[in-house]
Amino acid sequence: MKIVKKTLFYILASLVALQFLLPLIWMILSSFKIDEVIYKDIDTIFAFVPKFSDLSFDSYVELLGFYNIFKNVGNSLIYASVTVVVGLTINSLAGYALARFKFPFKDWILIFIIALMIVPIEATILPLFLVVNEMGLINTIPGYLLPFIINVMNIFLFRQHFLSFPGELIESGKIDGLSEVGCFFRIVMPSSLNMYITVGILTFLASWNDFLWPVMALSNADLMPIQVALNAVFADKYNIFTSHMMAALTIVTIPIVILYIIFQKYIVEGSMQSGIK
Amino acid sequence: MKKFIKRFVKVRNTTEHFRQSEHYKKRDIVSAFGFLTPALILAILFIVLPIILAITYGFTDYYLLKPNDKEFIGLENFKRMITDEVLIQSFMNTIKFVVFVVPLQLSMALGLALIVNKKIKGVGFFRTAYFSPAVLSLVVISILWTVMLNPTSGLINELLENVGISKQPFLSSASQAMYTIIAISAWSGCGYQMMIFLAGLKNIDGSLYEAADIDGANAFQKFLFITIPTLKPILMFLVITTTIQAFKLIVQPMVMTGGGPDNSTITILQYIYEYGFRHRNIGYASAVTLVFTIFLVVISIIIKKLFREEKTA
Repeated sequence: MKIVKKTLFYILASLVALQFLLPLIWMILSSFKIDEVIYKDIDTIFAFVPKFSDLSFDSYVELLGFYNIFKNVGNSLIYASVTVVVGLTINSLAGYALARFKFPFKDWILIFIIALMIVPIEATILPLFLVVNEMGLINTIPGYLLPFIINVMNIFLFRQHFLSFPGELIESGKIDGLSEVGCFFRIVMPSSLNMYITVGILTFLASWNDFLWPVMALSNADLMPIQVALNAVFADKYNIFTSHMMAALTIVTIPIVILYIIFQKYIVEGSMQSGIK
Repeated sequence: MKKFIKRFVKVRNTTEHFRQSEHYKKRDIVSAFGFLTPALILAILFIVLPIILAITYGFTDYYLLKPNDKEFIGLENFKRMITDEVLIQSFMNTIKFVVFVVPLQLSMALGLALIVNKKIKGVGFFRTAYFSPAVLSLVVISILWTVMLNPTSGLINELLENVGISKQPFLSSASQAMYTIIAISAWSGCGYQMMIFLAGLKNIDGSLYEAADIDGANAFQKFLFITIPTLKPILMFLVITTTIQAFKLIVQPMVMTGGGPDNSTITILQYIYEYGFRHRNIGYASAVTLVFTIFLVVISIIIKKLFREEKTA
């Protein structure tokens, strides 16, 4: 009886798993085929099972021949990294100030931050475009990056985290002659590494996956991040081979898969904290 | 506003350093403002200023190509919204998406979490498999599915034909396109929520189930009377976040259908994008932005209120 139950469980779980995995398997496998083979295989089992004699790197070579997708992947990596490094610094400094210091208007600044948390940024993206446009920063990298460096949710998360930071550690740093800034970068930041990684990964993913803002803020093809470039290539869908498109999708997916494998724990933890997606 | 203050006071009281009467140290003031200034400047420039602009431009006929000839036109933009058929349709499309995707995605996620909440060999593989679409970006998902759903030569239609179902137009039919987008969105997003449900399931005290076993409860009763009630806070949290997220749908229709066919998949956010960014009609788009933003804030307050009542009940 128990064995029957177990077998049934494995069958059910596997069927569900296939439903999630098959599209991804098809995407990766098709990227190693030429279009004729993709459509020859499409209604057979070979759509999902590799037949090694048919596989080749041709579609990758051809894709890179007419479109240097690595340029856009590189752009995205740089944008996301800058957003993470600058964003974490600025937001955590603000969170730290709100948790640790006594200063005038502190209450009002805190109210201000909390009030901004409930305004959905995506909804006000058009007026944001106008502001950046007025500043003459449309189609520039600072204009694209600056608005999403600030993240009030992250300021608040950091504040909550720093509220329980042991004051003795900071005092001892001060006795050793560190300034307030020195204490922050040499004591507080290193001892909150887990927090920084969690928030940093979420920031990285959000920046890497962002689509609407880059579409509006960057129309220069050389500066485009990968998600926009992908869509631009795809918009030309009648002139692009399926195999080329699948190769492009696979290339874009690889860095994120690596990131997930390394930081799995933090991503799940972080998603629970902020409930993204 | 009253709610803000209330919530804020609660937050403030958790500050151990806070004491009303004590006077400030000069060094603290300098450090604090030094630490806060970059964030405050960015917040004012890129969050507060846009909101103020949306409010002011919403009452004008500002057109981006004629920036010097904007005039105050009062409520004209808001009156126009009431009779704008495409806007009303995009609102109804958005509502349709939310109403279908939230229950679908959450029940899928709960089902998956129940499957992988077993102490059995190989469960780690299933967990990774179910989570895997969540790794892909929305643009990648949208392109991949558009290719797979191609009406003539797409993978899905070929598979359907193999089992004797005729080819479906999916994204190119006004009656099917939104449901297709709903299904794909649920497929791609449920992995995340599965993980959150799973964390909740792991926290359920095992002795509750043992007690139920002794009382002779069957699996369904255990699910209904133990699992669901304990998961309630997590469920409500997910309902709120998924609902708000769903209202902001734009990437999938933008990439997959462009809002068509016959405006059947255009959403509010996309409508704002089209009017303001594409057609440069800033005044009208700002008015829509304003109404949409207020709508979202009200929705989240309402859901949170329901959440609070549920919690105390």
